[in-house]
Amino acid sequence: MTASHPLPRRRLLRGLVAGMLALPLVLGACGGEDSSDDGKVELSFFWWGAEARAQLTEQALALYTTKHPEVTFKKTWQANQGYFDKLATLTAGNDAPDIFQIDDNYLAEYATRNVTQDLTEYQKSGKIDTSKFPEGLVTYATVDGKLAGLPIGENTQGLVFNKTKLEAAKVPLPTTGQTWEQHIAWAKDAAAKTGVAGTQDPSADYKAFWVWLRQNGKEFYNGSQLGFTQADVQAWFELWKGARDAKATPTPDVIHEGNATDVSKQLVVTGKALTSWVWANQMPELQKNTKDALEVIAYPGDSSKQWPRASMYFSVYKGSKHKDVAADVLNFLANDPEAGKILGTDRGIPANTEIRAQVAATTENASMKQTIAVVQELAKNFGPAPAVPPKGHSTVRSELIKAAEEAQYGRATPAKAAEQFFAAAQAAISR
Amino acid sequence: MATTTARPSPTAPTTGPAASQRRGRPAQRKNDGVAGYVFLSPWLLGLLTITAIPMLMSLYLSFTNYDVLSDWESMEWVGLENYRTMFTEDPSFWHAVRVTLLFALVATPLKLAAALGVAMLLNRSFKGAGLFRGLFYLPSLLGGSVALAIVWVNMFNRDGAFNQFLSWFGIEGKAWVNDPDFALGTLILLAVWQFGAPMVIFLAGLKQVPVELYEAASVDGANPWRKFLSITLPMLSPVIFFNLVLETINGFQGFTSAFVLSNGTGGPVDSTLMYTLHLYIKGWNEYQMGYASAMAWVFLLAIGLVTAVVFRTGKFWVHYSDGED
Repeated sequence: MTASHPLPRRRLLRGLVAGMLALPLVLGACGGEDSSDDGKVELSFFWWGAEARAQLTEQALALYTTKHPEVTFKKTWQANQGYFDKLATLTAGNDAPDIFQIDDNYLAEYATRNVTQDLTEYQKSGKIDTSKFPEGLVTYATVDGKLAGLPIGENTQGLVFNKTKLEAAKVPLPTTGQTWEQHIAWAKDAAAKTGVAGTQDPSADYKAFWVWLRQNGKEFYNGSQLGFTQADVQAWFELWKGARDAKATPTPDVIHEGNATDVSKQLVVTGKALTSWVWANQMPELQKNTKDALEVIAYPGDSSKQWPRASMYFSVYKGSKHKDVAADVLNFLANDPEAGKILGTDRGIPANTEIRAQVAATTENASMKQTIAVVQELAKNFGPAPAVPPKGHSTVRSELIKAAEEAQYGRATPAKAAEQFFAAAQAAISR
Repeated sequence: MATTTARPSPTAPTTGPAASQRRGRPAQRKNDGVAGYVFLSPWLLGLLTITAIPMLMSLYLSFTNYDVLSDWESMEWVGLENYRTMFTEDPSFWHAVRVTLLFALVATPLKLAAALGVAMLLNRSFKGAGLFRGLFYLPSLLGGSVALAIVWVNMFNRDGAFNQFLSWFGIEGKAWVNDPDFALGTLILLAVWQFGAPMVIFLAGLKQVPVELYEAASVDGANPWRKFLSITLPMLSPVIFFNLVLETINGFQGFTSAFVLSNGTGGPVDSTLMYTLHLYIKGWNEYQMGYASAMAWVFLLAIGLVTAVVFRTGKFWVHYSDGED
């Protein structure tokens, strides 16, 4: 019925809807750009994380206010669950925070829809200094040639293993540079000797698949296209079917637990596997959750195919009235030595390499020290970084989990699961 | 509104003489109407701002490609495209429909049966009857609570209470909530367990059945099963009907437990991908809010249709007694 008289109704409704959504914009944003220098400025600041992160962030922001008394912050934070729902809702109401935390799952979603401010100008004029950042990190923050967010931390793929259990059973520790086949053979042997599954099956894990692809001369994405073929997916699934058949991995229901991203559910922490596939900077957090000693190395294969990945970004809302101030705050959080000291490795290894060295030298947290050392060591050989995953990435990730689990539970052959994933992934990014 | 106009209003003393005069005095009626609306206004305001307007908006959005994040101006009218995609190009849609149907069609009858059974047990007078009624009602007070779902997941996990129970009999369980063949089953169990609300209504209904009927049946030599079939069920049929309608609608709308169990993904392997969860993922993870809105409207129509069918069948099995009892 609506289709038969589309125009008048459409206009009426559109007006109504637009009016409701745009009200805050009209009321709040009719002032000009950046008229902030003469008066007090309050910036809204939104992030996800736990209590500890909140304390660090508030300290760092308080430090900024001490140095710039005219700038205060309206801070909001919450757990990861529901964070992006809220951010999307605020954005829909044209009321997004001036500065918000975001990750590579969503950066392209927001950037391609013009929600994030392009920071390139600030970077060029030196107002945001990225000269001490590893080059790949900036690449990994650029969407369609625009700097969509400032990387606030770095990490790279890290294979964490349970040193205590391995040493107790006199199993040699895994080392960086083993091939994937060697790793699986090692896991099989370790499982037999310790009675604990050797390695989490990472076939559902996009970051493991990505490294493996790069080692095979492929990419996860080429621009907004998939950088691999269905045959690649199948080979990947078959590799891990072999591992499962050889009893190198846990049973599918346990693998499923480890497929969750929560640190506390990783199998290396819950004692259900000897290794977990994580981001290297999660090491200190993992260590907090277990009494056994953990250690981190690179993923199997050629570790130079790993890359400096921005673990998180701070983005500035395009509709913000105080973009200049917001940019200055980002610069402060990334490059100020005092702020760097406060923030530590909570959001990743500090992006600024000088601050990174300083934190590594002064920290008393052994696992933080080891993590920084490992990443620094790996970073020496890093090849070029890939671009930020395109729009649809988070759907591709969940499709990979779905297809890989079909294979893990034995409901589909690797070939069939690969076919399913490839089709779904293509649909997701061409949306 | 009929009740509002029929009742004498304290602010209008002229109501005394005759109600028949009213018909000829529209001003008076209008006044009464205003008072009614004033008293209704808090609810009416709520209905308009948080139900009616958003519903109309979502109806409009369902014909667009609205994606939450982009500027309002870049939204485009796509006509019936969302609806077409849903029915012809989204395999997950049909999968979600199947999961939801399975859930609702299994959980609702089981829940009603459990509610009726327990209500009949509790319908006798014995010491502590009140306490037991309270205890059985408790789970549904916690209704859609997230905490309960979390407890449930832990209970049916590999080292959960359920497997410990099984281990007493030498059975080795698995992580039921992580197994695509069983995950939905645990959710159905959770829904059935929360039978308190229909149970209380059944209890009230059972109290209404005249004892004489049972006595007469006993005299005629009817056994308990016969009494149940020939007296309890027919006498209770309006209450059963009421519960059936409510619980069917409830069953279709299941969301919280599936969301918690699967971390919002509908996993393992989409086995708990309920319709509402699929809708949520489309709208909030994939930012296809226009599509999600279309799904919501199809859902509304589908539930309306199912309810209408239930109402239709009611004619054949619901017996309303004519008497006053």
